[in-house]
Amino acid sequence: MNESLKYAVDIVMCIDATMSMKRTLDRVKDSALSFHTRLAAAMEEKGRSISQLRLKVIGFRDFGDRADDAIEQTDFLTFPDGAVEFERFVRDLTARGGGDIPESGLEALALAVQAPWEQGLDRRRHVIVLFTDAPAHPLGSPSQVSVRTYPQSVPHSMEELFSQWGHAQSSDALMENSAKRLLLFAPEDQPWEDIADQWNHTLFFPSEAGEGLEEWEMDEIINTIANSL
Amino acid sequence: MKLGQVLHGYEITSRPSNKDAGQCMWAFAEKDGHEYFVKEFLDPKRPGSMASPEDRERLLAQCAEFERRHTSVMNRLDPKDTGAGNLVMAKDFFFEKTRYYKITERLHPADVPNPHELSVKEKRILLLTLMASLRFLHEHEIVHGDLKPDNILLHRPTETGFYTAKLIDFDDAYVSGDPKPRDQIGGDPVHGAPEWLRYMQNDHSVGPDQLTTAVDVFALALIVHRYLTGEQPSFPDGFASAGEAVKAGAKLMFDRRLHPDLTDALCRATAADPCHRPAVSELRAMVDEPMLELRVRAEAPTVHVPSVAPAARSSRLRINLTGAAPPPPPPRPVTGPRLRINLNGKETS
Repeated sequence: MNESLKYAVDIVMCIDATMSMKRTLDRVKDSALSFHTRLAAAMEEKGRSISQLRLKVIGFRDFGDRADDAIEQTDFLTFPDGAVEFERFVRDLTARGGGDIPESGLEALALAVQAPWEQGLDRRRHVIVLFTDAPAHPLGSPSQVSVRTYPQSVPHSMEELFSQWGHAQSSDALMENSAKRLLLFAPEDQPWEDIADQWNHTLFFPSEAGEGLEEWEMDEIINTIANSL
Repeated sequence: MKLGQVLHGYEITSRPSNKDAGQCMWAFAEKDGHEYFVKEFLDPKRPGSMASPEDRERLLAQCAEFERRHTSVMNRLDPKDTGAGNLVMAKDFFFEKTRYYKITERLHPADVPNPHELSVKEKRILLLTLMASLRFLHEHEIVHGDLKPDNILLHRPTETGFYTAKLIDFDDAYVSGDPKPRDQIGGDPVHGAPEWLRYMQNDHSVGPDQLTTAVDVFALALIVHRYLTGEQPSFPDGFASAGEAVKAGAKLMFDRRLHPDLTDALCRATAADPCHRPAVSELRAMVDEPMLELRVRAEAPTVHVPSVAPAARSSRLRINLTGAAPPPPPPRPVTGPRLRINLNGKETS
């Protein structure tokens, strides 16, 4: 009776927590908090169940503006046991800072790619969901990498990050090709458009200019995960 | 792709979505006054500026294999063939910049009640059209690979008034015995055959050569049961799907209102060993109205032991483990005497 397919779902939510997100951050947070129950319901509707669900949150701002809290993150939290810590972290995320228009979204994305993804069970889904209303500083920008808190593991070029994301024939990818998905809720700006064009398994949901993330729908995320298993 | 964009002359007319799609985004489109359905694949993508020379070479090889798989399926099928009338095949397949697109005709599915609520005559037409499409695929050695109700659109041509089944989504199709690698093969766990599950679970006792058209037959049996009764065959607690139950040696339980001969056929079509499953044509031969009629008494499902082969039907054995009284005798088929064993001793016939 223990031969059922075992599904492992890991999700990293990269959330822009700069001041410009103030209007939409509460909505993102509310959706994040209800995410696991909605996903479980959607899976059940499809006659499937998740054997292991883990969530990780990376809040990001701008290294050039706020060195001390440019990145705030949790470990992977296994649900349902980790729900309390997850909720506490998400509720404490506060919109502040940001400085210039581009933010440190690529650093958050790189840290997500490098996360310790589940390698076991029968089928895995490794999902990165990134919410932002801004373009990102290019990797390797002196104003970013010179900051004392800048993560050393972050690649210094888009080519290197692309290599870590990988593809079906990659030799040095960090992500498992058949398991990974990237959902970008971001403006039609760089680097997000280039990533959407060139990274496989990437779904781009552009937000309207000046409208923040009002357009994004949690249903798309739930659907993407539930349908892809 | 995005709303308003024009791709190879196809103007995208709806907001692209991933809803009910696994490996693609989809949208509706128009070209020359006709409506189309557009899929944009998430993988592979052709190399762009971020790719190193080595990446570029490997990505182009992957793209070539992707194109080969698509064409190897489509080149075997002639849309003008009479058997292909209810297959919704690609009308166009191309890449633009880094992304691949597939175009099919846009269908407007009928607003239909659940198939099991249709009349017997309507169910028969629905099943015949579905099985004709599947038989056509199998005659050309093509496995659909993702047969499930979501990929069967119910269409109602105005000239007939009957619902017909349009078979869609050949993205997971493959030439029989030549599926994608284990970590890439598509399919649906709810309708997946036991050998497909084993293959996917890296059970190397199942090789690619064992993934044949019998994979579709397993799914078809589950769909036929659902279309006739409203539910899939049931299986013991602890399994997530019919395929998992069969893989573990458990018996599926079929609705007792079904005609015994049909139950027998569905039982053989869901056999653990794909070699023991009948061809679609054999199932199709059973789809006549008396066979599809549900018997009146709704009772617990039957654990059914199939006859070994169609020729052996005269010595069929049924075992009732449920304690429920067996159904009244079915309309007399052309088969010989039948033996039922009721382990509860309440009633035998």
